Amino acid sequence: MRVGIPKGLFYHYYFPLWKTFFQDLGAEVVTSAATNRRTVERGIESAVDEACFPIKVYYGHVRELCRQKLDYIFIPRLVSVEYRSYICPKFMGLPDMLKAGLPELLPVIELTVDVSKNDRQLKQDIIRVGKIFTNNKNQINRAYQHGLDELSKCKNLCREGYNISEAIQIWEGEQLELSPNYDLNIGVLGHGYSLYDHTISMNIIERLRKMDCRVFVAETLDQEEIERQAAQIPKKVFWTLGRMMVGSALYMDSHDQFDGIIYLACFGCGPDSMIGEVIERKVKNKPFMFITIDEHTGEAGMVTRLEAFCDMLRRRAGKYEDYISSYG
Amino acid sequence: MNCYLGVDIGSVSSNFVLIDNEHHLIKKVYIRTQGNPVKAIKEGFSELTDEITQQGITINGVGTTGSGRYLSAVLLGADVIKNEITAHAVAAAHLYPDVKTIIEIGGQDSKIIILKNGIVNDFAMNTVCAAGTGSFLDQQASRLNIDISDFGRRAVLSRQAVRIAGRCGVFAESDMIHKQQMGYPMDDIIMGLCEALVRNYLNNVGKGKKIESPVVFQGGVAANAGLRKAFAKILGMPVNIPEHYDVMGAIGAAMLAMEKMQCSRDNNTQFRGDEFILQGSFKTSSHECQGCPNICEVVCIKRDREILAYWGDRCKKWENSLNEKNHAV
Repeated sequence: MRVGIPKGLFYHYYFPLWKTFFQDLGAEVVTSAATNRRTVERGIESAVDEACFPIKVYYGHVRELCRQKLDYIFIPRLVSVEYRSYICPKFMGLPDMLKAGLPELLPVIELTVDVSKNDRQLKQDIIRVGKIFTNNKNQINRAYQHGLDELSKCKNLCREGYNISEAIQIWEGEQLELSPNYDLNIGVLGHGYSLYDHTISMNIIERLRKMDCRVFVAETLDQEEIERQAAQIPKKVFWTLGRMMVGSALYMDSHDQFDGIIYLACFGCGPDSMIGEVIERKVKNKPFMFITIDEHTGEAGMVTRLEAFCDMLRRRAGKYEDYISSYG
Repeated sequence: MNCYLGVDIGSVSSNFVLIDNEHHLIKKVYIRTQGNPVKAIKEGFSELTDEITQQGITINGVGTTGSGRYLSAVLLGADVIKNEITAHAVAAAHLYPDVKTIIEIGGQDSKIIILKNGIVNDFAMNTVCAAGTGSFLDQQASRLNIDISDFGRRAVLSRQAVRIAGRCGVFAESDMIHKQQMGYPMDDIIMGLCEALVRNYLNNVGKGKKIESPVVFQGGVAANAGLRKAFAKILGMPVNIPEHYDVMGAIGAAMLAMEKMQCSRDNNTQFRGDEFILQGSFKTSSHECQGCPNICEVVCIKRDREILAYWGDRCKKWENSLNEKNHAV
């Protein structure tokens, strides 16, 4: 059997888990191509207007998979991936939105991930999904456990400075190397599904690296320290990604090695309209820049902001490009 | 005489300045880009050439800025290619060494720059919204059938500005039409628009920033007396307008070019010379690269038959092909 996994949204966090899971059950896993202009066009054509850009792009990925010979498309219904914390409500309705919006949709494997209280229901759902492929419950549980192990291998790679998306590429067998030349350390925050998608983020991470910056993202930091920092906020942030972003921003704000922080938000993102504001107010010690992106393809605005930000950091720190400056 | 050329190609205007070694402005040219930056660069430069030949000026360095900075750098040959924030800050900090806040409003974007000891300490640009920019005023002026250059003059005649919603350009427009129908005097409506733009700017761009005196207001929109008055009124502090407020970006670019040339060991400027710019015919063309599903729109800039630059390709296939060719030659 062939199962398609769209290369969007939580692909960027969980792909190794699901790929391993389905492969161990004997399925062949197919992904859509990395987001490109066709994906975007297809997505915008079919998605509801109010959805955020990454959701629209996800439609494009699903439509691409619908054109292939597949038995199923895997669209998880993410409600909560950890105790008493939640994912944006749009993910909760994702399979329904797609079923309503795409007439050509192939059979969907839905899997509800909701561990906000306990994982009993998730375990049942894993078995239900696994039974599509086999009746052997032990095999299903082993496949899921194997998936979790592969995922944690990926996460360990992040501590070497790769973001989770790059870690997945390495896990898939690609060769990646980080440039050793840099004179600025910049923290870049944002939801992984926008930040690590080269098209959605207009490749912000690579652009910064080309400007001789070393880029830190949430996954490259000490996760326990992130939690400690996030706990400073008077009321617990109940969005999983939001809490990670707040914690990472405060972490970066309080450690000397970081020169500046950039937050990348999608226009129309509900959680970000709040989290971005919280971070902007709480970051006190470091230069902070908030960049909003949407469907527009004009990259000039992004380039100008990044260049100006790096210029500012270098001039503040007294690091100049190739000559000594006497002005501000 | 040795001079440095600064070029600022923006969405609405294209500015050219020549400054001498002492930072004195020798000549400035301000023209409208009118959607054709290549033509604007050629025209602007040819206006400078009279001055150059008359005074026997040699150009020792070129700096470009503005959203068309890469294009102008290809056409003119640039020693420094700088973003607008740095260019504006450098120029303002030279004129007003103790400046703390720079307000810059251009055609399509607006910025706030906070300086500390003459160094950029913080900045912000407008987000996806263009409500607080010059093109908004341009549009409303043509809707009211007033020349944009009269806009400021009419605004300051107002005694009681009408309150107009400044949150969004679309709402501002419907609010304005409503006020017109109610019979408010034109001058009061115009001043109301100016104040709406200032409020929008302060809420959007200046959000959370501490605006401290001395404040410098520059960019093409600073020509508008109504806006100057509105800023001074709403901020409650004097607002300085530099003499050459409309070409500050270009001045900054020229100063950065000077700085670079004076500090570098070899004094060879990248400037391609006036013959290159004025004699050649420049053409831009674009095509969709079919190499991969990204279908990048690749732009090609040509001088006569010679290809000067490619851009727009994400994989840099086209851009790099040019470098290889140049190395081969």
